[in-house]
Amino acid sequence: MSFITDKQTLEDMNLLGKYKQHSIFSLFNKVRTAGGEQLLNKMFQNPLTDPEAINKRSEIFKYFQSKQAIFPFSNKQFSQTENYLSGSSANNYPVTLLTLAKKKLLATVIKDEEYPNLQSGLQQTIAVLNNCKTFITQFKENDHPFYDELLEVSNILHDPRLEWLAEEQTTGSPQQSLQKTARYDHLLRHTLRAVLQTVMEAFYQLDVYIAVSNLAETKGFNYAQALPKENNHLTATELRHPNIDKAVANPVSFNQESNMIFLTGANMAGKSTFMKSFGINVYLAHMGFPVAAKDMQFSIKDGIYSSINVPDNLDMGLSHFYAEVLRVKKVAEEVSEEKDLVIIFDELFKGTNVKDAYDATLAVTAAFSEYRNCLFIVSTHIIEAGDVLKQQNNIQTLYLPTIMNGNIPTYTYKLQPGISSDRHGMMIIENEGILEMLEAE
Amino acid sequence: MLFTTDKQTQEDLNIYGKQGTDSILSLFNRTATLNGSKLLEELFRYPLLDAEVINARSEKIKYLKTVKAVFPFSSELFDQAEQYLANTDERTKLPIEKPSLEKMLTSLVVSNADYKQIVNGISALMEIIRQLNNLLNNTLILAGSPLKRDEETTKIRTLLNTEPISLLLQENPKSKQPHEKLATYDLMLRFRYRETVQQVLRYIYQLDVYITVAKVATERNYIFPKALPKAEHVIKLAGFYHPQLKNAVANTIHITPESNLVFLTGANMAGKSTFMKSLGIAMYLAHMGFPVAAREMEFSVLDGIYTTINLSDNLSIGASHFYAEVLRIKKIAKELSTGKNIFVIFDELFRGTNVKDAYEATIAITAAFAKKRNSVFVISTHIIEAGEVLKEHPNINFKYLPTRMKGTTPEYTYTLESGITDDRHGMIIINNEGILELLKKKRKEVTAQ
Repeated sequence: MSFITDKQTLEDMNLLGKYKQHSIFSLFNKVRTAGGEQLLNKMFQNPLTDPEAINKRSEIFKYFQSKQAIFPFSNKQFSQTENYLSGSSANNYPVTLLTLAKKKLLATVIKDEEYPNLQSGLQQTIAVLNNCKTFITQFKENDHPFYDELLEVSNILHDPRLEWLAEEQTTGSPQQSLQKTARYDHLLRHTLRAVLQTVMEAFYQLDVYIAVSNLAETKGFNYAQALPKENNHLTATELRHPNIDKAVANPVSFNQESNMIFLTGANMAGKSTFMKSFGINVYLAHMGFPVAAKDMQFSIKDGIYSSINVPDNLDMGLSHFYAEVLRVKKVAEEVSEEKDLVIIFDELFKGTNVKDAYDATLAVTAAFSEYRNCLFIVSTHIIEAGDVLKQQNNIQTLYLPTIMNGNIPTYTYKLQPGISSDRHGMMIIENEGILEMLEAE
Repeated sequence: MLFTTDKQTQEDLNIYGKQGTDSILSLFNRTATLNGSKLLEELFRYPLLDAEVINARSEKIKYLKTVKAVFPFSSELFDQAEQYLANTDERTKLPIEKPSLEKMLTSLVVSNADYKQIVNGISALMEIIRQLNNLLNNTLILAGSPLKRDEETTKIRTLLNTEPISLLLQENPKSKQPHEKLATYDLMLRFRYRETVQQVLRYIYQLDVYITVAKVATERNYIFPKALPKAEHVIKLAGFYHPQLKNAVANTIHITPESNLVFLTGANMAGKSTFMKSLGIAMYLAHMGFPVAAREMEFSVLDGIYTTINLSDNLSIGASHFYAEVLRIKKIAKELSTGKNIFVIFDELFRGTNVKDAYEATIAITAAFAKKRNSVFVISTHIIEAGEVLKEHPNINFKYLPTRMKGTTPEYTYTLESGITDDRHGMIIINNEGILELLKKKRKEVTAQ
């Protein structure tokens, strides 16, 4: 079963998107090869739901981080090799020879580009394959988690049929004879086509592992430990937003007996950022990726839903309130199917009156919190709802404080236990001097 | 001083609209001449501030409507005339002396485009002047016409009776003019009396606009509002509706300094925005002296109009929509503090923040606005609790647009009623969606096991 999430959640946390500014994907997208990028994208699209697979992947990252390796190819080198190998050669050697002879003739007579292109592709590929062979020798300890894959690659590259590779690299002239060219071409693009594909794919993986683990090293990310579902447990110290430099870190802790955070605080105090940081790290942890947190341990969940920036769809005649209700309904359906989910609700029920907002927040939050197998973070300004809800001992009340420095609010971004009644709406109005302006005659 | 308004307001009311979409301007933009259309846009850009000027304009249009005036000119004439006048190159002046035989022969072989344009331009102007004279005599200055005592019209009539225009009137535009005469006319029309000619043309473009607007008023059954002096501070608007909606429901409202703030509540689909837009459009057109979509309208002239209906928000930052609203209010507060009387519309005030802040801010701002008795405010909100507190201000006029529940489906009358709605749909909608049952039912099953 795949990890459950949806477009709204991915957008709330700005997870995907190569061309989106500050997306988490583009943060990690430091890969060199197109194939590596595709693989990275696939990993982002499909977080894992098996603790063993997660831990295995994070072990591999850890291993490469310890090696501090540098991917040995530029994108250009690698894509030339990809192009060359993806073209096909004829089914048997004589036909290959004949075709190439024709191409060579065309090249001399009418300056056709095909033959020189093919030769330079072949040259490039020989160089890359030789480099591959050297590169993997640095990972020869037999106890590392990517050993089996690299062993296979090594075996392929040491195939006796490829012995000439090293020789060509050192002694071979750039312009091999037609006969040699045909022989190599037939070998690489026909006989060994499938196995070389395996080599390429292993290198895409290497590209991702090296890029991500290097990023983890520079950003000071750590690896989370996946636990079986049954524990229903999530803790982390120093959890922060991976894409904000100097982000303030906070600890979080959830378990069966304490499965909901009821979060209060002023508008700019950092509620949304905290909730996004939590969501992003949970998501990354399920990918087996490094997280912006320390000592993170988590029981596997089935999915994550957030409701942070629900847009109103006025074209469809949906008010903001109704859009939120539909969102809550969707999540309620998922939760009631006994799925283990992480749920994030930011400032619910904005577009309605105070009474309804209070009633709705209270009723919905209390009903959700009974699903002890799920983890919730709910933020609101309706502190009265918090006063009622804190009677339930599975709800942690936390707030993000505002410290007034004269007229100017400053924020610590550090979670505190309790409920805050800080609000700034009126203060912003007062700071702008609007009421004085209207009072003056 | 100008009537104050801004881009936000014009966008909210869809005055100009986006390229290619229907707007309030496009409703009227059916003038015969291109320059008429340009002038119409100018009128939209500059609504008027003086009750007398407004009434004078609307009376003229009203008269043209009553006499079913038709714009008699063909637009080609103006193309020719304008093209001709646009050529201010002295070298193209027709020479007074007769052209040499040689030149005449050349022009027989190679037709001279400049020469043709000049001759056509002069005869177009002759035709225009002749038709204008007929229009004035047959329609515009009949007994009882407001144009008869209109200053501008009088000026144009004087011009028609003085040289050089009076000379043109005596000519037959169809007959071929001798060369000397053409040369004299060219010198006068295109150079010496250029300003005068343009003044006459401008007058015709204005007629084009007024006649077009009168026609629209007839077709759409619009009425002409009566502008009252500023000091009276009243708006009586009966049976007004949105000019761009089919089968729009009409509403009536009466605003005085004793009820200068309309506090509007109602469910989301109940028609609050449409009501406010209709009101804003009527006020805007009325300040232009234009007809409006209503049964009856009287209004004291105001200094400006500001609406905030579709304030563009930047959803990616939570605080910014609220802050955008605060800045908008600040702008309005600044205008008010200079002593201007303005018409203010605010739809869903403070929808960009949490209910608590919205509640407090709505009360504070609404109460402060209400004290500006000479300005008019229409404020809608979903925070009905704010209304209860605001009831202590006697000059707040509480209105709502009702929702009738037919079973669980809401129906809307779009007809304004007095009071604050107690339609609280929040919990109804949540209950209709069965969210709480969904969560509780399963839990019972689990505990039963």
